[in-house]
Amino acid sequence: MERSFAKEVEALKLGDGEVFRGEGILAVTKALLQSGVSYVGGYQGAPVSHLIDVMVEAEDLLHKLGVHVETCTNEASAAAMLGASISYPLRGAVTWKSIVGTNVAADALSNLASPGVLGGTMIILGEDYGEGASVIQERSYAFAMKSSMWLLDPRPDLPTIVRCVEQGFELSETSHSPVMLDLRIRACHVTGEFVAKNNRRGDYSGLNRLSGPPRFDYGRLSHPPVTFVQERLKVEERLPAARRFIRERKLNEIIPGEHDDVGIVVLGGLTNSVLRALERYGLADCFGASRIPLYVLNVAYPLVPEELREFCAGKRAVLVVEEGHPDYVEQAVNVELRRADLQTRVFGKGVLPQAGEYSSAVLLKGLAAFLAEVKPAGIDTERVGATAARIFAHVPAAAAAVGTLPPRPPTFCTGCPERPVFSAIKLAQREVGPVHVSTDIGCHSFATFAPFSLGNSILGYGMSLASAAAVGPNMAKRPVAIMGDGGFWHNGLITGVASNLFNKGDGILIVMQNGYTSATGLQFMPSSKAGRSGNAPGMDIETTLRSLGVKWMRKVRTYSVAKMAATLKSALGSAERGLKVIIADGECQLARQRRVRAEDAARLAKGQRVVRTKFGVDDEICSGDHSCIRLSGCPSLTVKPNPDPLRTDPVASVIDSCVGCGLCGEVAHAAVLCPSFYRAELIRNPGLWDRMLFTVRRRMIGWLGGRVGEAAA
Amino acid sequence: MSENVRPVTILIAALGGEGGGVLTNWIVDAAARCGFPVQSTSIPGVAQRTGATTYYIEIVPVPAAELGAKRPVLALTPGLGDIDIVIASEFMEAGRAIANGFVTPDRTLLIASSSRFYVMDEKIAMGDGRYDHKRLADAVAGNARETIVFDMSETARAGGAMVNAVMLGALASCGRLPMSPDQLAAAIRADGKAVDANLRGFEAGMKAAQANRPSPAGDGKCGTAYRDRIATMEATIRAQMPAAAQDILIEGVRRLDNYQDAAYAQLYLDRLAPVKKVDEQAGAGGRLLRETARHLAVRMSYEDVIRVAQAKADPGRLARIAGELGAAAGQPFRVTEFLKPGIEEFCQILPPRLARPILAFSERRGWLDRAYFGMEISTTSVTGYLRFRALAGLRRYRRGTWRYQEEQAGIEDWLALVIEAGGRSADLAIEIAECARLVKGYGSTHRRGSANFRQIEMRAIRPVLDGRLPFRQGIDAVASARTAALVDPEGDALQRCLDALEHKSMREAAE
Repeated sequence: MERSFAKEVEALKLGDGEVFRGEGILAVTKALLQSGVSYVGGYQGAPVSHLIDVMVEAEDLLHKLGVHVETCTNEASAAAMLGASISYPLRGAVTWKSIVGTNVAADALSNLASPGVLGGTMIILGEDYGEGASVIQERSYAFAMKSSMWLLDPRPDLPTIVRCVEQGFELSETSHSPVMLDLRIRACHVTGEFVAKNNRRGDYSGLNRLSGPPRFDYGRLSHPPVTFVQERLKVEERLPAARRFIRERKLNEIIPGEHDDVGIVVLGGLTNSVLRALERYGLADCFGASRIPLYVLNVAYPLVPEELREFCAGKRAVLVVEEGHPDYVEQAVNVELRRADLQTRVFGKGVLPQAGEYSSAVLLKGLAAFLAEVKPAGIDTERVGATAARIFAHVPAAAAAVGTLPPRPPTFCTGCPERPVFSAIKLAQREVGPVHVSTDIGCHSFATFAPFSLGNSILGYGMSLASAAAVGPNMAKRPVAIMGDGGFWHNGLITGVASNLFNKGDGILIVMQNGYTSATGLQFMPSSKAGRSGNAPGMDIETTLRSLGVKWMRKVRTYSVAKMAATLKSALGSAERGLKVIIADGECQLARQRRVRAEDAARLAKGQRVVRTKFGVDDEICSGDHSCIRLSGCPSLTVKPNPDPLRTDPVASVIDSCVGCGLCGEVAHAAVLCPSFYRAELIRNPGLWDRMLFTVRRRMIGWLGGRVGEAAA
Repeated sequence: MSENVRPVTILIAALGGEGGGVLTNWIVDAAARCGFPVQSTSIPGVAQRTGATTYYIEIVPVPAAELGAKRPVLALTPGLGDIDIVIASEFMEAGRAIANGFVTPDRTLLIASSSRFYVMDEKIAMGDGRYDHKRLADAVAGNARETIVFDMSETARAGGAMVNAVMLGALASCGRLPMSPDQLAAAIRADGKAVDANLRGFEAGMKAAQANRPSPAGDGKCGTAYRDRIATMEATIRAQMPAAAQDILIEGVRRLDNYQDAAYAQLYLDRLAPVKKVDEQAGAGGRLLRETARHLAVRMSYEDVIRVAQAKADPGRLARIAGELGAAAGQPFRVTEFLKPGIEEFCQILPPRLARPILAFSERRGWLDRAYFGMEISTTSVTGYLRFRALAGLRRYRRGTWRYQEEQAGIEDWLALVIEAGGRSADLAIEIAECARLVKGYGSTHRRGSANFRQIEMRAIRPVLDGRLPFRQGIDAVASARTAALVDPEGDALQRCLDALEHKSMREAAE
């Protein structure tokens, strides 16, 4: 990893009474240390990457506390780590991005939850849902329900989050069940403060090791016949124990309100948004006091029936505020009220939308609809309606004034080594016609956006090759699978390559070897050139594939567009059957720039020679057709007004952010575009030879009528 | 319930990589130092990669110490009509915030950079895909309570700073934050990274915001200085040509003199004489002449090898590049050109008698799209420079080249269509004149454009001129076919457009 988290590591060292300031996910990290964990693991992914990143950098601190940190190769291996807490009183936590990570981890989680745990185990889920999410929109809730794990959904407020982590471990131990802590994207990045406590050493850890395993106990295995017993234990013992704990420790909160003929049941994570919507209708203030009572579910699963009944008793109606589909909580509320024979009407989906994030606008509309329907005594619902109408009246006119704006999705960074591969695929397709491209998860999935618009399927991380298994045999042309090196080690090696070779498959696999899991924040992985403690992990994709028996393999520097296109064409056209692998080799430019910039600055400071490269376009020669942009898509290659008064179409232009990767020149060459590109290199701290050569050339070109040198004023 | 305390709400709209996160941290830090309860959230995800991203901050303008035991509960998502300040580092992102309903006339101060960072859809258009700047400017002016608009990107560049520091400066001077400019500057110092550059940007942002400069027009054109060797021609233009077309004609004459010689510029004027006549007959007020003159100048200065060499060896060019690089006087630099001429490029400078058989032979052999000679030539080396000079020197033989003959024939055909149409309708003639935009560029781009033009000529222009298509409909047909030709490089949209046109006219004929 090239980024430094030194500041964040300092925050982890705070002790009793000191004030911690920072982001939600860092507060969770600190809370884990305050809870005395013995081990931490996970697989990186927004929005929880920083938890592992910071832990890795806090090596010294963790060493002192005896905490073992594992940067797992996927979520399944992270989940399996929790197996340490089945038989031993070890507290442990793992983290990943959900829903995708939970899917990968599901097998281990089921086998963990069935025997249950002795030591507290916590799974920190970055719930990648709503604005800014990068994965399919599903809820983690189903996993909690089906495996009897408890799901905490704390109010997005640092003290509450920290309390949920600390009490979550106790809940886990009391009920012998794993606990999930669910944090939405904004909650991971919310800033705030809480009063810290000293970090705690685990009862057993690297500093105080267990002497050995306990006596053989079949009950700790998820294997028949005990699995049948375990199923019963889940509902007969663990669930009631969990509910008791939640009720006794008041993990859920009641916010009282004077209009108590109605109420709102809200998942913890949505509380602030609901309070703000109420505030805008004059029904709450900015300190969390409300005129309508709220039942805040910091524990989303399980529901505590007694608490729910007490809250609903005497109310005509309640509104359940629960984001996403299916409406698990709303269904459960209905069932519990039915069982208790309470006649409180339940509103939820209907006044609120079934799908999508509950943004401020959604909640404003939903609350107004709920209030208009139930007309609580003492609330002027017409005024609420008028306020809502006023708030929404402005939007259509404003949107119409602006017009339909084109989207601005994220894209490959300037100088990215993966972009040229897609330029090459586009060029190859011009000659051989369209091919099926199975895409994967990673930076390379940005190729699905313009200007490449490439990809026929995305089936998950490391799944691209496997997802083409049935395409190849049913199509005239070989399919192409794209996979990053991150995806290769996460899953693709076994799921994709081994399965393909085992089945004597055909097809093409392009592995993007950039040296990091870049999309998640530049973490190291097995084939990185460096590792956590400085040494390279030493695994190599090419060697691995050879040992598996891949025969057709080419390694091509990604920026060599023409060569890449030719290699791809030969793979597509080859008469030889069998898997063909192209390793597209080029270091992540983000990582490279962080390193090179620091090195260049150091060299400059020492007076050493540094060459800065930048590309440019000659305005007069550029035809304004923008073929180059359609083939490159680089953020630093853009358009500008045509300086020529006779032409109106904008011309291409390379802006200052250019890192001189050379792709535009390569593309201009490979695609035979216009001759307007040039590479300019400025030599800083030039040597004697540089100066002499430059002076001589300048003179001679001067005699020939040209001019080199001083900028025109 | 406490009715009167409300947080100050700030929505930051930025692009990944602009330091929006750092800006947010500065604001949060400054507020915390003043003792104000503050909360920020963001959707950074993959934002480093130039995608649109937002940050949201709430600051309670009462020190926590005065609130006693009360702790504010702050929102994580921006609310419709609930935003005090929206600050956008880019003009379209300001537009997006408006379209999403976060900017309201009763409440919001909108601080927007007038600079554009074009999105992919705008950049990949084959012609001009840029979003209407004026529309954005009107929306900015018409939807906020107050606006501060200036070019933050240019302010940052001029001050040698990142745009986030400029944004903080603009926020500091707006008077709507509960923190003073000094307290915000203190946050930059406390952060300790690139302090000098950030403070420079901060000061520049404050100054620019105070001046509240109106947004400069989005598509300002800069003129080009030419030698005034052909003053007589210009004098004739001023004396005899309609005022509406004079500036374009003068520009055209200068360009073609520079491109070839004074006689070539005279040919340009001669070619325009009949256009002037039909313009007068049609009562177009110089409009037709102006548009035809504009396109004719561009077509006559077509891009051949000689033209490229002229541009590459232009005396001012290397100096301009040195300026862009920020090279100090005498500081060494190198410039390398990427060229990949094919058989066609070589034939461009041969006489037609030689070029035609070579091209025909190469085409039969399938070499035309295959044989290219990639080269990287350094213009800052003596031999490299000489090569361009030598090529540029072929200018005097240009009239004898194959490409010249081809181009002139194409130009004559196109002009004849314009003049023929002008005799009937100035609008139709202008639409046809505009079609010259399609023929541009090099190699395959040029071939594609020429083929598209021929398609439109055959299937839309000729039918109107021959009376097979009603006039009104014909004008629309030519305009929409031209637009369609610029939609996709594969030409699918153009085919669909022309097919629909023919289908429609056949149906009408049948009725």
